[in-house]
Amino acid sequence: MTSQQYSPVLSVEGLTKDYPGVRAVDDVSFSIENSTIHCLIGENGAGKSTLIKMLTGALQPTSGTMKVNGSVYEPNNPHEAREYGIATLFQELHVVDELTVLENLTLGMEQSRFGFLIKSDLDDRVIQTLASIEPSIDPSARVSSLSVAQKQIIEIARAASSGANVIIMDEPTAALSEREVDRLFGVIRRLQETKDTVVYISHKLDEILQLGDVVTVLRDGKHIATKLLSQVAGRSELIEMMIGRNVFQDYTPRTTVTDESVLTVSGLSSKLLKDVSFHINKGEIVGFYGLVGAGKTEIARALFGADKVSGSILFKGQEVGHSPRQAIAAGIALVPEERRTQGLFTNLTIRENIPVMNLHRLSDKGIFRSSDAEAAAIDYVDKLSIATDSIEKHTEKLSGGNQQKVVLAKCLFSQAELLLLDEPTRGVDVGAKTEIYDIIRNLADEGNSVAIFSTELEEVLGICDRIFLLYSGSLESEVINGPDVDATQILNVVTGGHEGVVQ
Amino acid sequence: MSTPTQANRALSRSHRMSDQTCINLLVASVAVLLFLVASLLVPNFFQWLNLLNLITNNWAVISLGVGVTFLLVSGNFDLSVGGIVALSGVLAVWFAQSTGGANELASGFGLPYWLAMLCALAGALTIGGLNALFVVRFRIPSIIVTLGTMMLARGIAQVVTQGSQRNTNLPADFGLLGNMTLFGTSVKLPVVLMAILLVIAVFIERKMVFGRLTYWIGANPVAARLSGIDKDRHVTYLYLFSACVAGIVGILLSSEFKSGYSNRGMLMEFDALVIALLGGVAIAGGFGSVVGMFFGALILAVVTSAATGLILSPDWQFILKAIAVFLAIMTQTWALARRNR
Amino acid sequence: MMSPSSTLAHSAATRAEQIAQFLRNYYIYFVLAAVVVVLSLANLDRFDLFERGNFLYERNIINILRVSAPLLTLAGAFTLLMVSGYIDLSVGSTMGLSAVVYALLAINGVPFLAAFGITMVVGAGLGAFNGLLVVRFKITPVIATLITLSFYKGLALLLVQDGVSAIKSGGGLKMPEWFNSYGREGVLLGLPMSFWIAVAVTVVLVIAQNRSLLGKYAAATGGNPTAAKLSGINTGKIVFLLYGIVGVSAALAGIARSSFMSLGDPLSGDGMELNAILVVLIGGTAFSGGEGRVLRSFIGALIIMALTIGMLTIVPAYFQTLVIGAALLTAAASNHLISRKESAS
Repeated sequence: MTSQQYSPVLSVEGLTKDYPGVRAVDDVSFSIENSTIHCLIGENGAGKSTLIKMLTGALQPTSGTMKVNGSVYEPNNPHEAREYGIATLFQELHVVDELTVLENLTLGMEQSRFGFLIKSDLDDRVIQTLASIEPSIDPSARVSSLSVAQKQIIEIARAASSGANVIIMDEPTAALSEREVDRLFGVIRRLQETKDTVVYISHKLDEILQLGDVVTVLRDGKHIATKLLSQVAGRSELIEMMIGRNVFQDYTPRTTVTDESVLTVSGLSSKLLKDVSFHINKGEIVGFYGLVGAGKTEIARALFGADKVSGSILFKGQEVGHSPRQAIAAGIALVPEERRTQGLFTNLTIRENIPVMNLHRLSDKGIFRSSDAEAAAIDYVDKLSIATDSIEKHTEKLSGGNQQKVVLAKCLFSQAELLLLDEPTRGVDVGAKTEIYDIIRNLADEGNSVAIFSTELEEVLGICDRIFLLYSGSLESEVINGPDVDATQILNVVTGGHEGVVQ
Repeated sequence: MSTPTQANRALSRSHRMSDQTCINLLVASVAVLLFLVASLLVPNFFQWLNLLNLITNNWAVISLGVGVTFLLVSGNFDLSVGGIVALSGVLAVWFAQSTGGANELASGFGLPYWLAMLCALAGALTIGGLNALFVVRFRIPSIIVTLGTMMLARGIAQVVTQGSQRNTNLPADFGLLGNMTLFGTSVKLPVVLMAILLVIAVFIERKMVFGRLTYWIGANPVAARLSGIDKDRHVTYLYLFSACVAGIVGILLSSEFKSGYSNRGMLMEFDALVIALLGGVAIAGGFGSVVGMFFGALILAVVTSAATGLILSPDWQFILKAIAVFLAIMTQTWALARRNR
Repeated sequence: MMSPSSTLAHSAATRAEQIAQFLRNYYIYFVLAAVVVVLSLANLDRFDLFERGNFLYERNIINILRVSAPLLTLAGAFTLLMVSGYIDLSVGSTMGLSAVVYALLAINGVPFLAAFGITMVVGAGLGAFNGLLVVRFKITPVIATLITLSFYKGLALLLVQDGVSAIKSGGGLKMPEWFNSYGREGVLLGLPMSFWIAVAVTVVLVIAQNRSLLGKYAAATGGNPTAAKLSGINTGKIVFLLYGIVGVSAALAGIARSSFMSLGDPLSGDGMELNAILVVLIGGTAFSGGEGRVLRSFIGALIIMALTIGMLTIVPAYFQTLVIGAALLTAAASNHLISRKESAS
């Protein structure tokens, strides 16, 4: 299925996407040329994923047009996008482990007679496509025996051989080793040779500089620039475009930070994490900032004992990290990344959600003091300004911000002295965001310690006293927050650059 | 903690009853409704005594239903209870039978009755422990595990009784517990124990941390773990509890009939599951109450005894149970969806 | 750009992995051989079921295979359903109901082919109803098929008039001559039609699993339902079809059983679902879906039947429940321990 060699293969004009209260994509126009490796970069919240969702039909634009090969393109769902030749690769792998490579490649596209598979040139075609992009994979191998990187290549081959000529890849190297990244690049270049177009979304600027032909930069939903990479001076130019000059910073130094270390972590290592060591002081708010795949959630979970890693974690002199139960008993609480699936009991009410992390407090020789639980719920609804008319409301009906507040209330109820907040304001409206930040500041002022794990630079710069910069599983450097903090340098580090060296 | 202000008090005095109460009322109403309908169709149905009998005759299944309900709420099945009933009854008899009887089936260990009961209970708990081991430790789906342990338990009972029963050579006081009545009334001890168990169960459900834990684990096992709940330990306790109840039921039944019969309790596990489902206990876990289960038992009892009263053959019970469970599941899904739209 | 050879080698790289793979695929034949050897060494002529001592004696094998026909017929379809990630606990009742229907038709003068055909259609319908409950009404498979287990059993019991336990000759009606030839009379190698139909069904399903869309899509649906749907596969249709096929197989099993026993017993399928689960576990089928081979389940069925009957001659019948329960637990444990799929936490 070859498309006419129109140039550009994909273009958007005036594309806008509005949500209640926020404009995620703001009048974006640019075009993607055929047979190019077109990179898309931007900070978290810049609008990259919203833009991609519109391109693949998962979302409908509020206004603006999209064109494929010159004709208007308005997909209603990813299936339709596929029919136009646009395929997307996600982080979750969509391969069937129990089938062979060849079976996966032909899945859904087989030729059959009376329900029985018949050999057709489809088999040869897909094998050829696979061979052209990665000859070392045996088509008769069971997919379960392949590595994650190889499975990813299978998905690419599938997209390519199903007639897609624009393949969108969203942070494809997040889970790959260096060698596997090289191999992926080889695959992508070979795709380009066969006249396919690759849209490559990543925050790893080195990769962009190495691999890409063209780069588009988004910031705050707006299109900043689309340039040939050969004409880009280097990392610094990209970073400047990504963050602009106006990083909004609301940080005022806090007076209640102490020197007393409550958490000492050394040598944290796992599949992703590479020898992470740091310490957190009493009364401090620290931030762990990095982009996708940097390891922030892994660190948070390891501190909480949710995952087993090697290394030592000492909280107030006591060894922790064995289980969430132990962590909570020691005084550590985690607000997980996915509040709906990991943080809340969505089919239960606010009142029923809040006590779960500190049952000792409500247990009278085993009897549950429900009136105390009720009082606590009322108290937190008040203190955290949870917008609800009753504590009997099922939490699944609350808005994102209020749900997050309930999870916070849960943790506060556990009387933890160290709070780990993983993406505390993701999917939360602006008003609730500010309220949550106030809560965090109050907590720290009272002598507790807070660790925020986030991919939003503005967030960490707004309230954290110290910020740890993460990249690809290792703690690259530490930044003390203040008026002369260098956002450019920070972004440099978390995109793979090295401290002090901004090319 | 600040004292609640007037406005805050309004927050808690919700005018809406909880979902659980709503479902309980729904099931209770259906039970009452069916009773009335049956009374119209079947002669002599509408009597206090009849209603009472419906409950007392089913004391065994209702008791088993308590354990099954708790496990369902936690997100697990327990189909082994019927087998445990048989096993514990047979063991109680076997251990209590005097030694040196006329033949193999008439000889036992000659233990004093109370010791025999204890050993039988130990046997029941072993099965419960096996359930916990396979479900919690090996992470095998509970439906398969408990089907297996059900057969294992009943199988042991069958071997011990050589396929039939042991009912001879028993100490005189063996039949005491199962047939004892209360203070001149005709209410038997097992029924009283069932009532006590129900009260305790409701108390645990509503008022005890142990009960609350069950709901959290069933509602969201991942969040439960991340909230510091030891799911493995709790589910183990639940299986042991269920096995203990089943063990006591089996001992009481063997006392009532003065025999250890390997077919006793046959299909009781399915009836226990049915009444739990009729009572609004969610398959997915996280929701349900023994109160609902109790009324579910009432529904089942009314339907089956009305069928008998209408001279329908006992074979009809299979169809009636199937339809009842189907309707219950459909109704509850619909009712809750509408309510929480 | 060529990649380094060692890490990117195709399929099972190391020797140890290859041996493990071989074992996983062929262990069942070893087990079968072991069972045969053990049973043939046992001296069985003290017992009624066997005419002469040796297990391997021809008539004994024929007997075993005749009795095994129902389970052999059912094993393949049940496996395919499990591969897609679904289960059917009502197979025993479907079998019983089909047995009754078949016997009823026969005893009332319906000729063989018509009775056979109608019963198969009934089985398909019963299976399709399961599919409806699971796919359309979205009732979890365990509960849905427990409901139909009860419902079909009730229907079967109702079809048999009161006072009689099964459909058989008596009360003015006589079972036709041809009735039990299907399940008893040797037509090829001394084995009856029921056995050969079981073989035929298995062959068809093996081919279907390896060569047809249904087989491939079943594995996709069980292995990764999201991926399957994204590939455009109608997983609901696949599951529905598989339930229908299980229904037909169960009906065939019922026909075989009633033909062998010369009557239509509504309870003749009781416990079949447990046997089926045991069989597929031994055959290496995973409960989570994606894994499982029809042929291995067939062998597994042979093993189970041989063991069951062999065991019946060694120990009294009342040991059976215990052994099956223990076998079920052991099989589930080993199946899970060597299972390839890692469960997400």
